[in-house]
Amino acid sequence: MAFRGRGRGRGGYGRGGVGGFGIAKQEPFVLFPDIELPDVSSVPEEKNLVIRNARLQNYWKSSPYYLEDIVPRKSQSTDIERFSDRVKLRTTLKRDPLEQILRLTSNNFPLELVQGMKGATHNKRKVQWNPESDMQKLELFEKLEKKLEGQDEKGGKEKKEGENEDEDDEGGEEAAEEEFSDDGDYNQNIDFDDDEDDFNMEDDNDDEATY
Amino acid sequence: MATQYGVQLAVHLISSHFGNLVAKVCDCLLRKGTLTLASVIRFTELPPQQVKSCILVLIQHNCVQAFAIQQEVGFGEAPRVVTQYMALFHNILHRMRFAKFLAIVSEELDKECEEILEGLLQHGRLTLEQILDRAKSNQSEGEPVVQDALRESFLKLVRAHFVERCPASEPFLAPPSEEETPARKRGAKSAKLVEEPQTIEQRAIAAAAPMDAKRFSVIINTGTDVDDSPNVTAGEKRKQDALELDKETGASCEKDVLWRANFEEFVRCLRHKACIANVKTRLDDGAAIVLSAMLEATRSEEKKVKTENSVPLSMDTIFEGVMKSEAGRSMTLERVRGSLIQLGCAPCVRGAAESYSVDLKNIIELAQNDEVESITLKRYGRDAYRIFRLLSKSCRLLETDKISDTTFVEKKDTAKILYQLWKDEYLQMEKLNLHGSRQSQFLLWKVTKDTLWGHVLNEMYHSALNLSLRVAYELEQEQEIIQLPREKRVGALGNRFERLRKVRILLESSLMKLDDAIMLFNDF
Repeated sequence: MAFRGRGRGRGGYGRGGVGGFGIAKQEPFVLFPDIELPDVSSVPEEKNLVIRNARLQNYWKSSPYYLEDIVPRKSQSTDIERFSDRVKLRTTLKRDPLEQILRLTSNNFPLELVQGMKGATHNKRKVQWNPESDMQKLELFEKLEKKLEGQDEKGGKEKKEGENEDEDDEGGEEAAEEEFSDDGDYNQNIDFDDDEDDFNMEDDNDDEATY
Repeated sequence: MATQYGVQLAVHLISSHFGNLVAKVCDCLLRKGTLTLASVIRFTELPPQQVKSCILVLIQHNCVQAFAIQQEVGFGEAPRVVTQYMALFHNILHRMRFAKFLAIVSEELDKECEEILEGLLQHGRLTLEQILDRAKSNQSEGEPVVQDALRESFLKLVRAHFVERCPASEPFLAPPSEEETPARKRGAKSAKLVEEPQTIEQRAIAAAAPMDAKRFSVIINTGTDVDDSPNVTAGEKRKQDALELDKETGASCEKDVLWRANFEEFVRCLRHKACIANVKTRLDDGAAIVLSAMLEATRSEEKKVKTENSVPLSMDTIFEGVMKSEAGRSMTLERVRGSLIQLGCAPCVRGAAESYSVDLKNIIELAQNDEVESITLKRYGRDAYRIFRLLSKSCRLLETDKISDTTFVEKKDTAKILYQLWKDEYLQMEKLNLHGSRQSQFLLWKVTKDTLWGHVLNEMYHSALNLSLRVAYELEQEQEIIQLPREKRVGALGNRFERLRKVRILLESSLMKLDDAIMLFNDF
C-alpha cells in the first residue's frame, strides 16, 4: 500500500525501472488536439440537410422516446435554491409518457415486454405531436428557414397550453395516482411530476412546500 | 460491418437521440450480440422495468428485432421458447442520414409526403390513424388538412416503396431440421458452392419480413383495395386472392397496421445517385443522362440493393426514358448508343430483342478505388499514391525494387513509403528468403481489397464519431447563448452565436459528405 502511494507521488517512476518501465511522460489531457485541417471552402454547404437534421434532433430530445436517468429529486437540491434555478426549471420539458405513444399490444411488441407495462390499452389522452422543444434552437437557422416557421412555432405553443388544460379535465383513473394539484395555470410551468411513469413513482411531492 | 468504431458511432447516435439509458442497452446488444431480456438486465445492471422501456424504444425505432426460439433443455423437460433480441447495426447508422431520405422524397414527391415521412422518421412506426392525427395537429392556420389528400399522399409514398409495413414483432424460428444435410450434399454440384449457412440473425430477419405481396399493400377502411405490385405473377395473384378473402375478417385489424420508412429503397436511390455522379465525372453528361434514365425506369424491379447489374432494358425503352428527362431531350439515338458503349454495356440478345444492362458493381468498385486512392494521395503524398495505385491494379505481390523501377520513385523513398503504408494497414507484406549463390531477403507487397476496405470503413466511422462529438461539444459550450431570446443576442453574444451557427453548418455538412463515403463502402 505504502509503496503504491509512493509510486503515485513520483508520477510512476519508483523502483519499477528494472522491470522495463521508464519514466512515464505526463502529457496534459487535451480534448481536441490541434491538427491540420483541410480548406474550409472545399466543403459544400448542405444547409437543407443540416436544417432537417436539426429539426429531427430537436424533436427527439423532447420526445417520449428520450428516456432520462432517474435521479431522486432530493439529491439534486443540496445547494440553496436560487432564483435562476427557478428560471431553469421553467424550461425543463414535460414529456409524454412512453405508453401514450406506443401501441403496446402483443401484435406490435414481444409479449414479455408488453406484459409489465401499464396502459397496455390505448391511452385516451391526446398525443403531443409537437412538443415545446427549445424554440430557440430553431432560431439558430431562422435566416435560412421560411417565414412561416415563426407562425408555426406560435401556433404550436398555444396548442400545447390548450392541450395541458385538456389533460387536466380528462384525468380519469390517472388523476388519483398523480396527486396533481388543481391550481390551474399557476403551477403549469413548475417542473412538477405528474406523469404516470413507473420511474417517477418514488418521488415525494416536494413541491407542495413551494406554494 | 460492425467494426469497433462503427459500434461506438452507433452508440453515440442512440445516446444523442434517446439518452444514456437506451444507449447503454444498445451498447450491450451491439457488443455482446443477440441476448435474452434476462441477459441484458444482468449485463447492464439496470432495473428490469427500465431495460424493458429501452428495448421498447429501440424496437419502435427499428433498431432492434426480437425473435422467439426454442431453447435446448435437458432430457425429460418440455422445450422452452425464449425471446431473443438482436441489434440492427445498419438501421442505427441510417439515423445519421434521415435528412437525406427526406430530401429524396422532397425532390421526387411533394411537401405533404415529406411531412408524412418526417413523422415516420420521428416516431419510427405509426399507424395510418396516427399519421392522420399528427398531420391534423400540425396544420397551420390558413391551410386546413384534407383527409383524402393526406391519404393520397400516404398512398404515393407506399406506391413508390418509400414506406412499408413493419416486420413481425416476434417471429418463431423453428429449430434447424434434418433437411440441412441433404442440401449440403447437393451443394457440391450446384454453382452456389460457397453459400454459407444462414446465421440465426439472418433467419430472424427473413422470418420477420412481411410477404412480398403484403409489404406494400394498403387496404383502406372504405373497402377499396389498393394493390401496387405491377408485375402480378401467378403466385402473387393467388396471394392477392387469399388477401381478398382475409379482407373481411382482417379489415378491422388493418387500421392497427404499423408502417415505417423503407430504408432499403432510400439506400437504393442513393446508390443510383452515386453511380450517376461517378459516371458524370468519369465519362460525360450524356452517359450520366442515359444511366439515369435506365435506373429510374427499373428502380421498382430491382430485387436487392446491391444488385450487380441493372435490370435489362430494350433500346426503345431506354430512348423513351432519355427523351422524358429535360436534359436528354436533345439527344439523338446515335448519341444514346454511343453512351451505352461508353458505359460498357454490350447488347445482350434475348429472342428477338436486344437488351442493355449496366454493370453497377463495377461502377461502385471504381468509385471505391478512387476514394481510397484519394485518401492515400492526401495523406502520404504523390509518390505513395503512385505506388499504391500500382499495387492495387496489379492484385499480386510485387517486390520493392520492381515497384521502385515501375513508379520511378527512389529506392530509399520507396522502402520508407511501403513501410509506412504497411504500418497503417494499407498493405500486406511478405518476406521471401532466397538461398542461392548469395542469401538475400526480398520484401513483397500487396493490396488486399477486402481487409483494406474494412480498415478504411473503420477509419471513416472514427472520423464521423469525432465530428459528431465535436458538434455536440460546441453546442454544449454555447448552451446559454442558444437559449437566449433573439433580442438579447447582440454584440459579443451575437458574434458567438454567429460563430456557432457557422461552425455547426460546416461540421454537419462535412459529416453529410463523409456519410456519402461511408455509404459507398458499407451500403452500396
